[in-house]
Amino acid sequence: MKDDYLWDGSGEPDPEVRKLETLLGRYRHNQPAPAFGQIMDVQPMKRRWSLSGLRFSFQLAAVGAILLIGVTTLFILRTRQTRNSGPAWDVARLEGSPRIGWHAMGAATGPAKLAVGQTLVTDSSSRASITLDETGRIEIDPSSRLRLLASGPGRKRLSLERGTIHATIWAPPGQFVVDTPSAVAVDLGCVYTLHVDDSGAGLLRTTMGWVGFKLNGHESFIPAGAVCATRPKTGPGTPYLEDASPSFRDALSKFDFVATTPPERNALLGIILTDAQEEDALTLWHLLSRVSDADRPGVYDRLAALAPPPEEVTREGILRLDQKMLDSWWNSFGYGDVFLWRTFERDWTQSPPTAK
Amino acid sequence: MELQAVTFWPVAEAREDDVLVRAACDGDRAAFGLLYHRYVRMVHGILLCRVPPREVDDLVQEVFLLALRKLHSLRDVSRFGAWLGTITRNRANDYFRKTIPAERATEPASEEHAQTRTNDHVVEQEAAVILAVLRTLPGTYREPLLLRLVEGMTGPEIAARMGLTHGSVRVNLHRGMQMLREKLGENAKGTERQKQERATTSEPS
Repeated sequence: MKDDYLWDGSGEPDPEVRKLETLLGRYRHNQPAPAFGQIMDVQPMKRRWSLSGLRFSFQLAAVGAILLIGVTTLFILRTRQTRNSGPAWDVARLEGSPRIGWHAMGAATGPAKLAVGQTLVTDSSSRASITLDETGRIEIDPSSRLRLLASGPGRKRLSLERGTIHATIWAPPGQFVVDTPSAVAVDLGCVYTLHVDDSGAGLLRTTMGWVGFKLNGHESFIPAGAVCATRPKTGPGTPYLEDASPSFRDALSKFDFVATTPPERNALLGIILTDAQEEDALTLWHLLSRVSDADRPGVYDRLAALAPPPEEVTREGILRLDQKMLDSWWNSFGYGDVFLWRTFERDWTQSPPTAK
Repeated sequence: MELQAVTFWPVAEAREDDVLVRAACDGDRAAFGLLYHRYVRMVHGILLCRVPPREVDDLVQEVFLLALRKLHSLRDVSRFGAWLGTITRNRANDYFRKTIPAERATEPASEEHAQTRTNDHVVEQEAAVILAVLRTLPGTYREPLLLRLVEGMTGPEIAARMGLTHGSVRVNLHRGMQMLREKLGENAKGTERQKQERATTSEPS
């Protein structure tokens, strides 16, 4: 009976229902859960007083006095809770009318707070900044949507659903994370710009320090001066320096996100290896673990010619993707100790966000 | 997009819900987190029936924060789903009351455009049109059908979450689906007519 499928998914699938499920499934809920454990404690409110049955005015007066005391106490408690909760970020309007939830900020309104679970939205003519003294400052460009997911001690997590943010982070490495629909960006002590378009594709550009980008075991390190694109489902691409040649960048982009057949990938890899300069070692290092076993020796040889590996790193070790040797080679580039990433990414990705 | 067709809801969860609600009332945030996971699709679906799709995710968070604050006022823990549903509908109504008219004016006039203005893909447009048509159904049919087709909940799960009987949900799903078929059919005819009219008027005389 076809209705059985509509009822509980059993029986022969009704093709029309199945088609509607597939089409409408894109609207299905897919956001990460808020960190309820970090939302400030809410004191249960006392039962409301009932006025029925009161006969004398002195009783009314007594009830009034108790209500007044109750309201004052609640106000003091709330103020104290807000002060103690500490995780809300200060929001400042830079331009236009940014919104927190449905509350619009205007020129006449003062600074506001962004609490865990709330979303800051800027329209096409609005800009805002959020600051947390112990963590850093983030500027939010127009047409952006940013949600605060967690703000506990040593653990700050935002979700950039679309738009652009400029982050200046002074918290210790690994404490500040931004989820995007196509990757998780872990700050490793830096200044960076992160852009997410409406399709969920992202672009991260590091100005100072370095950032780790990860999705489903696919990871990229983006040091200062480098850029990394990311795509939904695929995850982060291979990072490259902004001043790399156009042909190098073009081939790399196609290699990461377009080419699917071995001959196409071979041709693009050939361009990348030929055009690579000494500064592009960071790109070739990433490619070591992204190319096929057959292509890896070629990448190793080119990288070794541009940036000779440290003594403890052997060709055989790299060809079998020995993690210690790969990390050791990365460290020799001087961008930052990969130990930071190995320490912090595990912590953050134990409960990965849902990626669209 | 790879989707799970439907989710199956174990009956034993009903009893667990009561335990979770009591624990959450006593301040157990992990219990509230589990309730969130169980009910989030219901809340999401009810909101999607009423407010622009782009606002739904924000409102979902607000509904659960509100529920967390008001949980102590729930007298019958077995009615958590129905209570949460009422909070959700009220929140959706508040959205239209409290949103500044000027802000709403910047939103696309029709719901389908909210999602399609950046989507140039035909399939996504088709999905947006179907959602818009589904949202024109009477409330009785709209909510269960949207929870079934969008959120992937089964009929028994919808009944349990919303505190309804299996019989009423089954009837509403059946009638809602019939009505949706008819409206989609009318919509397709109307679109075809418009295309023909445009083609006629653009022909050189």
